[in-house]
Amino acid sequence: MSEPILRTQGLTKRFGGVVAVDNLSFSLAGSRLHAIIGPNGAGKTTFFNLVSGLLAPSAGRVFFQGRDITALKPHQISRLGVKRTLQIKSIFPRLTVAENLWITGQAGRGFLHPLRTAASDQQAREAVERTLAQIGLSALASRAAGTLSYGDVALLEIGMAVISRPKLLLLDEPTCGMSPAETKRAVDKIRELSRTVDIVIIEHDMDVVFEIADDITVMAQGTILARGSPKEIAADERVREVYLGRDEDKDYVEEAAHA
Amino acid sequence: MSVSAIERCLWALLAAFMIAVPWIVPALVGSFWVSVIAEILIWSLLAASVNLLFGYVGLLSFGQALYFGFGMYGVAIGVEDLGLSFWPAFGLGIMAAMAMALVTGIFAVRLTWHYFAIITVVFSLIFYFLALTNKWLTGGDDGINFTLPPTINIGGLSKSFTDPSFQYFFILCTAALCFWLMHRLFRSPLGKAFLAVRDNDVRASLIGLNVYLLRLIAFVLAGFLAGVAGGLFAFFGRYASASYMFYHVSGEAVVWAIVGGAATLLGPIVGTTLFIIVREIVSTHWEHHSLIVGTVAILVVMFAPKGVVGLWNDWIARIAERGSAPAGAAKLRTEP
Repeated sequence: MSEPILRTQGLTKRFGGVVAVDNLSFSLAGSRLHAIIGPNGAGKTTFFNLVSGLLAPSAGRVFFQGRDITALKPHQISRLGVKRTLQIKSIFPRLTVAENLWITGQAGRGFLHPLRTAASDQQAREAVERTLAQIGLSALASRAAGTLSYGDVALLEIGMAVISRPKLLLLDEPTCGMSPAETKRAVDKIRELSRTVDIVIIEHDMDVVFEIADDITVMAQGTILARGSPKEIAADERVREVYLGRDEDKDYVEEAAHA
Repeated sequence: MSVSAIERCLWALLAAFMIAVPWIVPALVGSFWVSVIAEILIWSLLAASVNLLFGYVGLLSFGQALYFGFGMYGVAIGVEDLGLSFWPAFGLGIMAAMAMALVTGIFAVRLTWHYFAIITVVFSLIFYFLALTNKWLTGGDDGINFTLPPTINIGGLSKSFTDPSFQYFFILCTAALCFWLMHRLFRSPLGKAFLAVRDNDVRASLIGLNVYLLRLIAFVLAGFLAGVAGGLFAFFGRYASASYMFYHVSGEAVVWAIVGGAATLLGPIVGTTLFIIVREIVSTHWEHHSLIVGTVAILVVMFAPKGVVGLWNDWIARIAERGSAPAGAAKLRTEP
């Protein structure tokens, strides 16, 4: 493939005096499940925010399939096929599970009919039913999403990613806060997804990362520290120093307390 | 009898009552109450305009009276100064309200929560004082009185608001049409997109919804409802006045919508009915009737935050759950 699916050029984001992302040049060839790891504050989520348009970069450019998307708004970037999940689970709590999926599937349409009933669109309804079956939430279809358990919300988020027909999927700590069983389910789903969609995943759980990633980028202090296959990364001295040497559980507990 | 059958029966009863009002009500409580009911229908459209924004898009506007006022003045100026007949004047009022909503909305919907509430109040205050001071156009404090044009004038048939029954039915049909349109809207793709924006605007933008544009559309639609209400009220009172643009009027509509039940179709009607009936009964005996309004509003917000209709829906859902069909669970829960 000549043109990488995602490429950034000198991407920089400053918050006052703090440089969260520092002159980052990243490129992602298609057809790989790519993981970004790094200690807290490395700029991983900021990087996602810049790519998805939630933040405007201080300098640099972002290209998706060769197209400059730096100045586009989040909904415009989303409509090009770049979809993402948020680190803190983010759904539409007062809509039902089915409605969450339905609106996510339909949101990319330029025109939303003001008077026809939503339920009358058979194609959209079938897509919702298919996705519900895929993520195993069919029985909860008419429950308000805000009343779901944490693990089910995470599954719903993955379902929302599926139904939006992404070309590039950015997953921000999809297994954060999940039980081991839920994590396994989510990882299976992500791996299945990666066969058809390019995925970039931020993940703190090293077992998950080394299990599913084809490629790993290690970030620290807003820049890329190392890049390579899981084997290469595991063997990299510098990476061990800044990241793998730390006590992950402690790191995670702290984060959960702040969430 | 299933829950949906009960609801269908209630709907049929309500419809039958509304149609029979010009005959039943004068016989039971006096013909004055026919015009009170007509007034309730008009004001419930203003409350519905608040509800569309607050209940369905998550924007609390304290300035909907501005668009009500523009609807009123559009009609009054259209009839009195421009010599328009009924329908063009009504259209002018609605268009004026929507145009004003578009212009102010372009700025207002960039903001949310208290910032949004404040800017809507500011806009309505600005135009309230402009209306007060530009007497040549608005009549200021005195307002504009106008002669009622006939609504229908085809051949020998002429109907106007001077016929109380015609006036009532015209208002009833207009309000029913607006509520039917809202009913369709809330179940439509656009309506679902509104709800998504209300629930989680960041997520809505990430799934590809243009949050700003959706809020602006909702704001203009709310302006339409307020404009229809204002236009109807002008014809109803043969009169337009700046006092109806004051934010006090907007605030009342907010209370009606919330007490009746935000995010429900009929909440605004229920809230408006409750408060206007209380006002009509109590104000003849006791001048501090607004104390009751305040007390009821506080009690409802504390003990039934989903409003009267929200309580009813919960009750229906509970009955449905107790029965065999789990269909009641499909009802949209409205807790945050």
